[in-house]
Amino acid sequence: MQKNALHILLADDDEDDRLFFKDAFEEVKVQTKVEFVFDGLQLMEHLMNPDTKLPDILFLDLNMPKKTGKECLIEIKKTEHLKNLIIAIYSTSSSDEDIEDTFIEGANIYIKKPSDFNALKKIINEVITLNWHYHTSGLNRDNFLLSLK
Amino acid sequence: MKWIPKFNSSNYLRVIFIIAIFILLFLSSIAYKHNKDLNESSKLLMHTYEINIELERLMSAIKDAETGQRGYMITRNHRFLAPYIFSRDKVNTSFIALKKLTANNPVQKQNLEKIYKLIIQRYVSFENCLKYSAPETYDKRKLDNHMFGGRILMENIRFKVDEMNSIEKDFLNKSLKKYDQEISLGPVFSISLFLVALAFILLAYRKISNDLERLTIYNKKLLISSGLMAESETIGKFSTWQWDLQTDKIEYSDNLYRLLGFLPNAFVPNKDTFLNYVHPDDKEAIATSMEGIINNKELPFIYYKIVKPNNQIRHFKSTGKLLIDQNGSNILLGINFDITDEHLLNIKLQEHNNELVKINKELASFNHVASHDLQEPLRKILTFISRISETDKAALSESGKEYILKVETSAKRMRVLIDDLLLFSKTNTTKKEFVKSDLNELFENVKSELAVIIDDKKANLNADKLPSLDVIPYQIEQLFINLIGNSLKYSQPGIAPHIIIKCEEILSNEYPEIIDQPFKKFFKITFTDNGMGFDPQFKDNIFVLFQRLHSKTDYPGTGIGLAICKKIVENHKGYITADSKPGQGSVFTVFLPQ
Repeated sequence: MQKNALHILLADDDEDDRLFFKDAFEEVKVQTKVEFVFDGLQLMEHLMNPDTKLPDILFLDLNMPKKTGKECLIEIKKTEHLKNLIIAIYSTSSSDEDIEDTFIEGANIYIKKPSDFNALKKIINEVITLNWHYHTSGLNRDNFLLSLK
Repeated sequence: MKWIPKFNSSNYLRVIFIIAIFILLFLSSIAYKHNKDLNESSKLLMHTYEINIELERLMSAIKDAETGQRGYMITRNHRFLAPYIFSRDKVNTSFIALKKLTANNPVQKQNLEKIYKLIIQRYVSFENCLKYSAPETYDKRKLDNHMFGGRILMENIRFKVDEMNSIEKDFLNKSLKKYDQEISLGPVFSISLFLVALAFILLAYRKISNDLERLTIYNKKLLISSGLMAESETIGKFSTWQWDLQTDKIEYSDNLYRLLGFLPNAFVPNKDTFLNYVHPDDKEAIATSMEGIINNKELPFIYYKIVKPNNQIRHFKSTGKLLIDQNGSNILLGINFDITDEHLLNIKLQEHNNELVKINKELASFNHVASHDLQEPLRKILTFISRISETDKAALSESGKEYILKVETSAKRMRVLIDDLLLFSKTNTTKKEFVKSDLNELFENVKSELAVIIDDKKANLNADKLPSLDVIPYQIEQLFINLIGNSLKYSQPGIAPHIIIKCEEILSNEYPEIIDQPFKKFFKITFTDNGMGFDPQFKDNIFVLFQRLHSKTDYPGTGIGLAICKKIVENHKGYITADSKPGQGSVFTVFLPQ
């Protein structure tokens, strides 16, 4: 595993989704290192651990047991050394309410879980090649929800 | 400001009576004067006659003396001298009387003095005649002289007496003439004054009788309206009370007694009576607000409970006002409403409302379930299918491949169904924010959204100018998309779709569908196409959720699109209808209130 590999963290309680996610990353051409946590509590413990190397991008599911994705998002944005973490919401829901709330709480992008494996690969490709500095500075409600053309 | 004399009835009467009294006083003073004048003139008359008589007495006394003296001188009988001797006293008596009578008249007084002197001279001449007729001192020449002198004196006296009499007569005539003049003025003047006074009194009488008549009418009206009031209090379950702050007297309307559970006038109310019937929970609040009315001159609505003698609890609402009448007395007026029925109804409504809120919450959680939990397994099915690679598929039998395809189609259809269902419930539950929007702009957005299909089908869209309305913009867009999309979808094979959109202003009373709506003016927007149309017996059914007129293999769809249209139009307090004949296109009509 290369040292400059992109460090990805996915917080998702669903085993199948983790599997899809892992497989998709394996088929993406960029070098990545993918780690998983299974719920919100575990995510926060992991992030708060001083030994943890922070990920380059955090993929955050919203509907998780013990602590929801939204709660995690709020906590992360309140924590000094975590607040600049790039967070991609990765959820089944596409309700306006969820999109609006996570946008306000400071997530960087919102991804609706696709129902096609190829689409997933495309999305992942898009996200990891995104110029985050550029994207974040020009962030608005219209480009917050990732849509593939 | 123009000054308008404002005579109310009692002032008017007062003025008339005062004028009449003055006239009568004037009349009686004239009568008094008249009487006094008459008295004066008769006194004057008496006075003149008295003087006259007294003067005649004087004359006759002197004449008696003359006659007596002559008799003595002829007969020398002393008996004839007696009248002469008495005459002096008589003369003196008359003289004193005359002096008294003429005391106020200087001219007559002078005349009287002259007469007195003449009389004294006459008596001197009498003495001299006696002296010179006596035999011892008889002197014919001297006697003749004195006799003659006596004669002249007598004539002088007579003359003076006549003069005095005539002076008195003149004075009497003059005075009488004066009085006559005054008195002759009197009767016409008094009679006319009397008539005027009579007229005034008659006027007052007429006024009074008019007022009485009006009073009777008003009394009758008052009686009717108080009867009506009592009746309406009973029907409307309210009651009134008045509290005179000066006399501290409180009056309840009959219905207040009834509302409190008593017969009318069952007790005499005072300031604290009412509190006895107020529910213990509310006693303090009512006591404070009763104090408050006097200070604030007004009682805002208060709500409280009362306890009837049979322990039944009723809900009351009260309000009051301080009234200051013309005489400056302060009267508190109050109205008590028995709102128990409304109160119970409200509680029921509140319960229903709570239930509705609960149901809405359940619906929202159902939406959540549909959007997350139902979609999750579906998404996985689809993802797993997508992961079956071509090599995997090659290993399957033909029927296996077909089954996989059917699984995929069904799963995709289920996703569309769930998405549409969500869209439908969203039109119902999301916030309804009305924004003034130009419908032409929304229509343009829809056209660009549907551009691909319009191009594909070579469709022709013709639209009137549309109005600007207060709408939920994305919903109206959705409405247009669904209606136009529908026309495009169900076009006749081989014929390019032609959709005509017309708009006109109409009044709700011209259309039975919307006659019950609270709005009067509507916009009627029609979408007419040349598509395949449908059997008019389904024109109501097509708006029902999941109702489809075609098989899904011919025309894919969920049967939700028109149901959403109906919901959207209802959200805008409008109405949607459809009409068609198979093969002749269809017309969708949307009514939106202005």
